[in-house]
Amino acid sequence: MSAQSRARSLLVAGLVLGGGLVGCGGDQSALDPESGQSRAIADLWWWMLIAATIVFLGAVGLLLLAWVRRGSEGFPFFGKSERVSVGLVLTFGIFIPIVSLIALFVVANLSVAEGTDAPEKGSTSMTVEVVARQWFWEVHYPGTGAVTANEIHIPARTRVNLVAKTDDVIHSFWVPRLNRKIDMIPGRTNRILLDADRPGRYRGQCAEFCGLQHAHMGFVVFADPPGRFRAWLAGQERDRRAPTTPERKRGERVFLDEACSGCHTIRGTSAAGRVGPDLTHVASRTTLAGNTIPNDGRYLRQWVLDPQHVKPGNKMPALDLSKAEARDLLDYLESLR
Amino acid sequence: MNGVTRSSEATSAIAAAYAERRRRAMPSGVWGVALLVATEAALFGTVLASYYYLRFDAARWPPAGIEPPDVALPLALTGALVLTSVPVLLATVAARRARVGSAWGLLLLALLAQAGYLAVQILLFKRDLGVFSPRDTAYGSIYFTLLGLHHLHVVVGLLLELGLLVKLLGGLTNYRVIGVRAVAIYWYFVNFMAVLVVLTQLSPSL
Amino acid sequence: MATVATPAAQRHLDRLERIWAEREGLTGWLTTTDHKRIGLLYLFASLAFFAAGGVEALLIRTQLLVPNAGVLSPDAYNEVFTMHGVTMVFLFVIPISIGAFGNYLVPLMIGARDMAFPRMNALSFWLFLGSGLFMYVGLFLGNGPDAGWFDYVPLASKQFTPSSGIDFYALGLIFNGVSTTAASINFIVTIFKLRAPGMSLNRMPLFCYAFLAVSFALVFALPPLTAALSFLELDRRLGFHFYDVASGGDPLLWQHLFWIFGHPEVYIIILPAFGIATSIIPTFVRRKMVAFPLVALAEILVAFIGFGVWAHHMFAVGLATITTIYFAAASLIIVIPSGIQLFAWITTIFTGTPRFKTPLLFILGFIVFFIMGGLTGIMFAAIPFDQQTTDTYFVVAHFHFVIFGAAVFPILGGFYYWFPKVTGRMYHEGVGKLSFWLTFAGTAVTFFPMHIVGLLGMPRRQYTYPPDLGWSFLNFLESIGSYVLGAGLVLIVANLAVSLLRGERVGNDPWGGDTLEWSATSPPPAYNYPVIPRVTSPYAMWDRDDRQADARRLERGELTLERGHETPASTVLDAEWDEILEMPSHSWMPVLLAAALAAVFTMLLLGHWVTAGAFSAVAALVLFGWHMQEPQEA
Repeated sequence: MSAQSRARSLLVAGLVLGGGLVGCGGDQSALDPESGQSRAIADLWWWMLIAATIVFLGAVGLLLLAWVRRGSEGFPFFGKSERVSVGLVLTFGIFIPIVSLIALFVVANLSVAEGTDAPEKGSTSMTVEVVARQWFWEVHYPGTGAVTANEIHIPARTRVNLVAKTDDVIHSFWVPRLNRKIDMIPGRTNRILLDADRPGRYRGQCAEFCGLQHAHMGFVVFADPPGRFRAWLAGQERDRRAPTTPERKRGERVFLDEACSGCHTIRGTSAAGRVGPDLTHVASRTTLAGNTIPNDGRYLRQWVLDPQHVKPGNKMPALDLSKAEARDLLDYLESLR
Repeated sequence: MNGVTRSSEATSAIAAAYAERRRRAMPSGVWGVALLVATEAALFGTVLASYYYLRFDAARWPPAGIEPPDVALPLALTGALVLTSVPVLLATVAARRARVGSAWGLLLLALLAQAGYLAVQILLFKRDLGVFSPRDTAYGSIYFTLLGLHHLHVVVGLLLELGLLVKLLGGLTNYRVIGVRAVAIYWYFVNFMAVLVVLTQLSPSL
Repeated sequence: MATVATPAAQRHLDRLERIWAEREGLTGWLTTTDHKRIGLLYLFASLAFFAAGGVEALLIRTQLLVPNAGVLSPDAYNEVFTMHGVTMVFLFVIPISIGAFGNYLVPLMIGARDMAFPRMNALSFWLFLGSGLFMYVGLFLGNGPDAGWFDYVPLASKQFTPSSGIDFYALGLIFNGVSTTAASINFIVTIFKLRAPGMSLNRMPLFCYAFLAVSFALVFALPPLTAALSFLELDRRLGFHFYDVASGGDPLLWQHLFWIFGHPEVYIIILPAFGIATSIIPTFVRRKMVAFPLVALAEILVAFIGFGVWAHHMFAVGLATITTIYFAAASLIIVIPSGIQLFAWITTIFTGTPRFKTPLLFILGFIVFFIMGGLTGIMFAAIPFDQQTTDTYFVVAHFHFVIFGAAVFPILGGFYYWFPKVTGRMYHEGVGKLSFWLTFAGTAVTFFPMHIVGLLGMPRRQYTYPPDLGWSFLNFLESIGSYVLGAGLVLIVANLAVSLLRGERVGNDPWGGDTLEWSATSPPPAYNYPVIPRVTSPYAMWDRDDRQADARRLERGELTLERGHETPASTVLDAEWDEILEMPSHSWMPVLLAAALAAVFTMLLLGHWVTAGAFSAVAALVLFGWHMQEPQEA
């Protein structure tokens, strides 16, 4: 561990309240960067924290000293000098701030910002387009037919141009460990750079209040080794796995006959709804409902049969299915890998 | 204590004129309307800025299907309105010199001219509404809102003058002289804003 | 100290007493135009809203005590956090600073007998009360606004929030804005025109500089909000298209307009606190303020520069790089006047001989929290860091430190400081100190961990959070902190309430204060000063010769201005005596006009346009009736 990071760790330990902090880690922590851009921001934070702590402790120290010296007027050594008083105000109120603020400005807004701004056209290897909707993320891979939702895969160590859009209200795309947030605004197309240092799983969340279920509008970014990414993308491009068993065939019938196909798309069937996420490969995802619940049998059943219980106010209605229909439908959905 | 007037005791025209002459600073009422003008100017400034913001966002302005506005009549009307500042100014001069009758007549003249202006503007407004709607485009929304805001201020100005005319029937007092000055300042502001509003309204054609 | 008046003096006091007598009972309060009574009305109304906003805060913190707490449903939560913000900003901190502290103290500090426009002063109060009730009626009908206190479109548009909560918000805030604009105009004219002869601008207390600056800022900051809200209502109710992209509008227009108001608003929130701090410090450290002219200039600069930095609330929106760089640079400039004031205060405290009574403790707490909030504010001017932490709990921490820690602590200290003046009794000092420590600790424990949880990735405005991201313990701690904070605030109120009934009686000047209000009795009589004070420095109470000269004049009946409701008007810069004004007193017009306007806004809310027009005509008639009664006829 370098001397710098050791100093930082000490500082963190020293500044943390009551030892209850779990650490700077966490799947969505800005202090656990996994890209050059997030690391630059995190480093900026630590230096600003050091400077701020010095100023804060200095000022508090002066106040404490004022308490200690409450019986005497003026300064130690200088006595009651109005000139020294005004001089102090000018030095600490004007001159020192001007110097430090210029330094901060140059470092943060001219240097670091270069990396966190939208990537230059042509400086990236691929593009992913994310369209935010209340309350999920529609993910497209331009140039392929791949469409998925709430789970983004990118190749690790690759500069990815992430295009951020929306058709409804303002949302904000935020994966703290990979980069700063970028708002998604109707009528505008914003872009941000994703460049993961290494393969891993990074949590993201909507960061602009967008209505009832803003709290549960999460997503995951997987940075994959290039080979695994290509295989994943090829899988996502394909139409759905046609159902082979009678249960699954019945399940697909249920899907097409009920309200499901009005809101969802399953490529390879007649279902082409766009209100909810594309479900062509829903079983390949690790989470459901905008990274609210894990994607396993029990949660899938709860989500499909009683969505208002999982995410109250979301747009999916509860369906009126018989036990057999429900069983077949779930079987079918679980087969859509 | 010496030489300081109890200005509210000036309940005749002569006394009021005297109080006006003795006063060195702007009276509170005039300060008050000046600040009202400042805040309303900020409101107009915001709406004007919004017009230009939406305009520079747009590819075509006005959008396809809407003709750019005619220039002649609005400009002439605005010129006429600005000219009413003259009788208003003369009315304040008269009031400060205790000439109630002249002040009253000049205010009436201004009011009639301004009411005529408003009547024509309302006709033009209705005509425009028949051609394009604020409910169809942002252009329509800001166009009619900007004009409507201005016309509302004209209505308020007319009501203020009407109120003054009624009160001046009872003669001049210190309070009413300040009232005339205040309403005059309000009108100078409305007339100034009228120029900015009409130039903005007509900007696609200029 | 109170002295027994001689018979000669007593005759003048009795005469003034008769002229300025307040009417009794409910009628008296409904028709009052006395700045002190209006200040008290504002005080109690804003405290009631503070309690409401506080309950909303406690509900939020209880919902976030543990993950998936189930205390509030998502829609209830969204209404609660929206109303918390709206209440605290518009119905508590501004009205209590300007309406309560400003109204009560500014005329006293400048040696005047009332505000420049006493009836409009009353109108401001009734409009404020009306606007607050208007918005809360919406909440209680189950239709509270729920799109956040800054209400971004398109979420707040009719399409995505069809319910009328947003209309309550928009119309309620326009209504509220009329109140505040009227109050601001009143303060500017009062401070310019009604200062005691001899109180040239450079001899005006720093408290008044802060209020002058804040009033000018409001005059220019409120119109953009009014425009934004009007456009929103036109879009929602009449189908206009200011903000919708499909027809050529732009959601970012809302953001620009809102923040052109919203950023100056936060300096408006803190400036009165600066004024209170600069009143309390000299008194308790027994030393004049260091660099007085610099501090006065800094107060004005803060208000001014605040207008040029609004888009730093929009760094994540995707504006052009040159735009974001300009706004970051401008935002850094504000640090300078803030730093000047901070170091002036600290140096004054250091070089004086401080008495650490409760009011000064709250100012020390204010300084600590202001530095903390100011430092994180500086961090936000680092654009990439802002883009990482905006819309997270890090920014929630920042603004609560500056809005609560820095703007409210001086208000709490001010309660203690001026309590003896307003009530004639002293509060309990021991309980006062305890209430400070509880409130200070509660504030620190509630808001400091929010920095950390924000950096750990917790966005704001979410009604619950997952248990596996390391946020749970910190949220739990913050919620406990909020209960401690609540207890501290309750203790303050309890201390003052009990002391009101049983506190030790005090005279005019228990603290050795530096400004004029300490020369009046406690509480001051309706006419404030029997003799118009002559002023030769900003520390009028510390000029013993001048105050003794006042007493001699009372004996001789000079400068008592007792022919009616009289107060002097002076020139703006040098305060040379210009004329004697007769002030209006009791009137029904303010409360009637406020009622008429409330009816207008209610009809607009309900969509009864013609009826709204009819009530506007009624309002115009009331306004005409108002001007029928000229001051000399009062």
